[in-house]
Amino acid sequence: MEGKYSTDPEWASVTPIDLDDGSSSGAMPLATIAYPAEYLEATSYLRAVMAANEMSERALSLTKDVISMNPAHYTVWIYRAKILFALDKDLNEELNWLNDVSLKYLKNYQIWHHRQVLLSSKAHFPTFPPKEADFLMEMFAQDSKNYHVWTYRHWLVRHFRLWDQPRELEDVEFLLKADVRNNSAWNHRYMLRFGPRDTSLPDAGMVNAGDLSTAPTEKGRLSIVDEDLIDGELKFAQEAILRAPENRSPWWYARGVLRAAGRGLAEWEGFVSGFVSEGAVKSSHAVEWLADVFAERAGKEAEAVRMLTMLKEEFDPIRKNYWDYRIRKLDQAVA
Amino acid sequence: MALVSGPGRGEGIPDSELHSSKHVTYIKNLDTRKDELEYWLTEHLRLNGVYWGLTALHILGCPDTLPRDQTIDFVLSCQSDNGGFGAAPGHDAHMLYTVSAVQILITIDAVDELEKRGRGGKEKVGSFIANLQNADGSFMGDQWGETDTRFLYGALNALSLLRLMDLVDVPKAVAHIQSCENLDGAYGIRPGAESHAGQVFTCIGALAIAGRLDLVNKDRLGAWLSERQIESGGFNGRPEKLADACYSWWVGSSLAMIDRLHWIDGEKLAAFVLQCQDPDAGGFADRPGNMVDVYHTHFSLAGLSLLKFNGLEEIDAINSCMPKAITAKCLAG
Repeated sequence: MEGKYSTDPEWASVTPIDLDDGSSSGAMPLATIAYPAEYLEATSYLRAVMAANEMSERALSLTKDVISMNPAHYTVWIYRAKILFALDKDLNEELNWLNDVSLKYLKNYQIWHHRQVLLSSKAHFPTFPPKEADFLMEMFAQDSKNYHVWTYRHWLVRHFRLWDQPRELEDVEFLLKADVRNNSAWNHRYMLRFGPRDTSLPDAGMVNAGDLSTAPTEKGRLSIVDEDLIDGELKFAQEAILRAPENRSPWWYARGVLRAAGRGLAEWEGFVSGFVSEGAVKSSHAVEWLADVFAERAGKEAEAVRMLTMLKEEFDPIRKNYWDYRIRKLDQAVA
Repeated sequence: MALVSGPGRGEGIPDSELHSSKHVTYIKNLDTRKDELEYWLTEHLRLNGVYWGLTALHILGCPDTLPRDQTIDFVLSCQSDNGGFGAAPGHDAHMLYTVSAVQILITIDAVDELEKRGRGGKEKVGSFIANLQNADGSFMGDQWGETDTRFLYGALNALSLLRLMDLVDVPKAVAHIQSCENLDGAYGIRPGAESHAGQVFTCIGALAIAGRLDLVNKDRLGAWLSERQIESGGFNGRPEKLADACYSWWVGSSLAMIDRLHWIDGEKLAAFVLQCQDPDAGGFADRPGNMVDVYHTHFSLAGLSLLKFNGLEEIDAINSCMPKAITAKCLAG
């Protein structure tokens, strides 16, 4: 077969290695359309240079060719990263190219690990490259909940210690302004404000989450609390709730903030009651919040049951058995 | 097994019937589609695809549909010298494919072929997996270093099926899972990453295999998981996202592991999943109206099996997404 590589003098010294799939029927049926033929040829040369662990310009451009045809080919990314470091290539140039690939293949895992491998190099990136945040916002313009991008951003924050960099919070607020239901942005906000910062310990979703000796109710509880910060975050959550009362994220966020401060749900009783007046309930999450407040207050259990019954019968009948369980638990506590 | 999507689409109209024979035919025909462009682009998933197709056929009660010898040949052709398996022949070994290889070999009772064909036996596979554990208890996917809870779950899953759990530090793995818990009681793909139903499955599954479900706040997690059921009856993977048939497995099995599957409306869930099937050409899509593929076909059927849908073999929610009759035999004694 005459192909791009087999006819190129630069590649004349390489003997391609064909795919061996162990099939007893002989050779794999070669595809009749043009694209797989090119792909098969490129990957046969890739196998050959990888087997020889060749660190060269031609191998580097071959990896680019294979990635352009199939970015999910995980093996090729590992090899490419090795060559980049071996030849001491300009990693900023690599990032520029990677930006285009990332924007084209939004669901790809490998691209983000590759990026992390590059940015991990203290020799190349002793400090945070600010253009990185611009690029991530370009990614979020395509899909503001892209899980890979958010996970990578979390890594960046910890690696470069960016918790208090104004840009982080600015971007979160920009995204929440555009879509207050963006749970990914809410999670990032929580990690910026309350996530563990001690990089000598393993990372965690809440402070002490990974510590088996910490009681479940104490996870996420800060040892030093900045009450002004807490009040500010609670206000932020309230404003978001007023914009979209049925949006789950700020309700969870508020619970997390109160827990971080070691403060109870009851201080929001007034606020949530505003959503649960006779004849007009504007948020099922407010009803649940009130149920939780009443459940902890002696003599208010019947009120809690009334709230849970409302949830079961009116707002969330699809989870009838869950609400029944909560009601039963309360009944048992009273009895 | 090809992962080419289509040809059909989820019908998107209410249908109380499961078109089992159509699904069997759909899976059987997947491997005859090598002349399609997408066959090559999904090369990196091929071994997973065999697992999905094979397990789906078992759930459908047709375990002997794929030729056993050829399946073994293909699986072993994906093995590297280091004991791990790649997605397809010539691909580097990686955790995700090694787990699929183990699941397939256990399912067709062929683990001893590793020894017979001079591949170093199951211990070699086990040591490939064990070598990917990091100092903090987490696992990498391969020597490249990508680390997340999918790999940790896969490691424990495969090692428990091979009965080689003592090769790794289980308490440290458990501590790592704990650190992935978030303020909402659910879990993310890494510490600090947003809660995601797929990652809840990997974290809870790992704790189940390690025998440490006592560490889970079951009421809180059950509340989060059951909230994934939305109006259509289907589950989403995160708040404010669309429903997807594959979450009937990720969410459903997680609820089953913490004994709270009854907190959701099973009838509505089944009705949603059935709308994702193509009643003519077979297969399931992620949601009604979209193209079918083998991944969604497998996890839709697994989800329906969890709900004890009539005519399906029972799936094991805890030890592995495999037929219960097989895991029971493998883990007995």
